[in-house]
Amino acid sequence: MSARPATPASPKNYKVRATQPGQPMYGCEHLQRLFNQDQATTNTSIQHYRAILRSIFDTNPLVPQTSKAADGAVVTSLTPTYLCLQCPSTLTEDDRTKHGSKKSHRFYVDSRSGALYCQMCDDIVWDPTFEELRLKKIGTGTFSNRKRKHEELFETSDPVRNNPTYITSNTTIASCKSSGLRGIYNAGATCYQNVVLQSFLHNPILRNYYLSDGHSSSTCNVPYCLSCAMDDMFQDFYALETTNGYTAANILSGFWFSDRRAFDNLVATKEQDAHEFFQFLAEELHERNGDGKKPEIGSEHSCNCIIHQTFYGKLQSTTTCQNCSGVTHQVQSFLDLNLPLENLSHKKGKKTLSRGQLTLQECLEEEYVKSDKCEYRCHNCSSMQQARRQTTIKRLPNVLSIQLKRFEYKQGRNERAAKIDTPVQFPLELNMLPYTNRGRAISSNGHDGGKENYELARSCTYDLLSVVVHVGEIDTGHYVSYCRDGDQWFAFNDHRVELAQKSDVLNSKAYLLFYVVRSLS
Amino acid sequence: MSAEAGDTGKAGVIVAQEDAPPMNKLSHAVLDDLLYNVVHDLLLKVHRDEKIARANTAAIKVEKLAKSTTDGTSTDPKPDVEIETDAAIYKDGKVMLKGNPLKSTKEILCPKCHLPRLLYPTDGKGAKKPDPGVIYCKKHPYIEKVGYDIYGQTWVAPGPGRGKKKKDQKLDPNDPSSPAQGEGSAKDRPSNVLSFPSATCPKCKRCILVTRLNNHMGGCIGNSGRNASRAAAQKISNGSNGGSQNNDNTPPGSQKGTPRPGSRGASPRKRDGDEFDEDAEDSDQPNPKKKKIKPNSLTKKVILKAKSSAAAANFKKDKAKASSMLNVEQTPDDDDAKDSTVQVMPKKPTPTLKGASPTKKIKLGAAKPRLPSPAGKKAKKDRDLESESSGTMSSPPPR
Ligand SMILES: [Zn+2]
Ligand SMILES: [Zn+2]
Ligand SMILES: [Zn+2]
Ligand SMILES: [Zn+2]
Ligand SMILES: [Zn+2]
Ligand SMILES: [Zn+2]
Ligand SMILES: [Zn+2]
Repeated sequence: MSARPATPASPKNYKVRATQPGQPMYGCEHLQRLFNQDQATTNTSIQHYRAILRSIFDTNPLVPQTSKAADGAVVTSLTPTYLCLQCPSTLTEDDRTKHGSKKSHRFYVDSRSGALYCQMCDDIVWDPTFEELRLKKIGTGTFSNRKRKHEELFETSDPVRNNPTYITSNTTIASCKSSGLRGIYNAGATCYQNVVLQSFLHNPILRNYYLSDGHSSSTCNVPYCLSCAMDDMFQDFYALETTNGYTAANILSGFWFSDRRAFDNLVATKEQDAHEFFQFLAEELHERNGDGKKPEIGSEHSCNCIIHQTFYGKLQSTTTCQNCSGVTHQVQSFLDLNLPLENLSHKKGKKTLSRGQLTLQECLEEEYVKSDKCEYRCHNCSSMQQARRQTTIKRLPNVLSIQLKRFEYKQGRNERAAKIDTPVQFPLELNMLPYTNRGRAISSNGHDGGKENYELARSCTYDLLSVVVHVGEIDTGHYVSYCRDGDQWFAFNDHRVELAQKSDVLNSKAYLLFYVVRSLS
Repeated sequence: MSAEAGDTGKAGVIVAQEDAPPMNKLSHAVLDDLLYNVVHDLLLKVHRDEKIARANTAAIKVEKLAKSTTDGTSTDPKPDVEIETDAAIYKDGKVMLKGNPLKSTKEILCPKCHLPRLLYPTDGKGAKKPDPGVIYCKKHPYIEKVGYDIYGQTWVAPGPGRGKKKKDQKLDPNDPSSPAQGEGSAKDRPSNVLSFPSATCPKCKRCILVTRLNNHMGGCIGNSGRNASRAAAQKISNGSNGGSQNNDNTPPGSQKGTPRPGSRGASPRKRDGDEFDEDAEDSDQPNPKKKKIKPNSLTKKVILKAKSSAAAANFKKDKAKASSMLNVEQTPDDDDAKDSTVQVMPKKPTPTLKGASPTKKIKLGAAKPRLPSPAGKKAKKDRDLESESSGTMSSPPPR
């Protein structure tokens, strides 16, 4: 059995995953035999599997997709090839059988997914040992539990990542019926709150925080504490068997008792904006769980509270003086990214025929890749100068929230607000690398498809988690939302919860988007 | 490319015409391959879920058998026995599969409660009648049926119709002695038809129908500063706020069915939740029948929260007791929410007293500048724009 070139000659002994109650120990009888031969076979099998996963997920896809036929012809295929677990061959589906009978090699890895095929079962097998490796590779990019790579892009001392109880979905003894899927009654024009509450309820980090007693309403003495109200709500959603809608009375009274600034905006001006409620709730929960400091977005405020760990990231803007080429850096935290639509949709409307069609990536590029001109007071020149300013993302959050600015108002006598109805296409899977400092550095160094960059791109991959949609006219509209639970999407319309198709979600005119970083999900 | 093999790709669905030019054939083949991949990925996903569920079912079954051979007397999680079923072998505390679980195992057991999973929804799309002799796991497939939610529930129409009837029977909606909302009709409704619940206002302890809770709290709680006058007005008209709500003294029968386009059109937020308004009685006394502490409110914490020690539970209990002496408090009793329309109320100890305390005001009231948009470089842009004529704001005023 010849070793794959990438395999290091490691003296390490690999272990088969320990048996779990309610699970078979091996994927099939044949793997059982393989793992029970001797330690050397187990070692090489696991080493080879890891090497194959690396070549599938960390290299140019051409490598695993290229197979060598029996006659020596090299074929690169779009469709899956099979990488032999027991030798370095890559085979097409047809040649796989021949290779098996000739060499008695029985296990192959599917080049698209990393799944293992057993020739004797003539089926894909899901072996606990191999599957654990595969899921780790897809998620974090490493096989070990050691901290993620590319830490500079994320919070280094990130308790969300370091505290396993926040991540493992706190398997509860709660009833099989309690699923966390319930509607919330409209308490009278509160749909703008309900959509944000639903997105919090389906946020895995917040869920695990509250369900692991992160903020316990039984020990907190703050009156009308909104974090306690959240705690109670999470309990009622995930611990009770109730399927009826939820009456968010505690949230509502907490809201009415709060006299924070956002409250005035939401109440006095009757602006029932889901985004403002999101900000309100985030600030309020930060205050209840955090360092007590006001979360000032303009500054580089770092806090370890659950809200900061979940939503906050950092932006860096670089200003270059056009006169002396002096560079100024400024770093600030953000709760969410706010993307203007109007200018972009006008600009694009002129250029192309696909009028008014935008993509989320175009909006992000406009803000975090392109630079703009501005005037600023240069220290070197001691005068106002023309400058170029560029903003990129310095630190990515665990849950990325994006606001598409669909509401604009003309200033004047009668402040009339207008809604921008431009459809914005957004993906289920979003790569944020191009909008980060690192992504910028890579693209300015020219293209380099090294292993590092595949890993880097993967660590910046986000999956869509929930979408808040405003339907109807600006004055008369209504908010609905979509949230994902596992692979299934659900549509939330106040107290009503229905199944939703991905196409329903992707065709909606999103107002707020929440993405969760893949390595956490 | 696998196009070399012929005029099409691996799926063999998208086929170019025989006399098509080579580039045409190639693009057909590429598209066909992509289709193959899409199907391949989907299939793999379903295969994985299904096969792992069946393999685990085989393991659960053989483990159960192994435990039962020890007469249930042994608490050893890994009894030292050897058991074999059609699908698996139990030996040395380990489970080994026999053959392919997709073939050997037909049902799926819930890994949590070990009861069989219902594999088809009970209603709507793809529904099948469950075997009445089987006790299934409580996690059911979600229902897809127009007019019903994922649990097959629907709600009493807020407009004229069923929901109306009981109201018409009521002589005076403000009379606390009139029958509690929903109680009368709950019995002649199927169990999957729900009505809107009520909740208790933490400040005045009145029982308010959920659809007007926001308006009520706005008037009852939000009466400070510049809201005071508005709140006062709200109190008089009992919670009307958006200009679209009817006075409570209007006979309920006359307000429901009629749309009020005039008032709505003028309102800054037309769809003021009161389209669901059922005109709940704002009873001064919560129905005593519902004045019970939720039976599982203490245990539910223990269930979910690993850290929750007995001490914490006691603490909670004490608090609950203390508060219930201070005022009439209710905890949500969701378990029978289907029948009872009264739900909810905060477990917070003596919120009313603390809520008004000046300490809170001071703490929260410190003036804080409104948070600017984080999009740093755009700040300037926006400012420029604003000075010209328009600016972007993040706020839609709708409800
Ligand atoms: Zn081989
Ligand atoms: Zn096999
Ligand atoms: Zn609290
Ligand atoms: Zn914080
Ligand atoms: Zn300068
Ligand atoms: Zn179950
Ligand atoms: Zn009240």
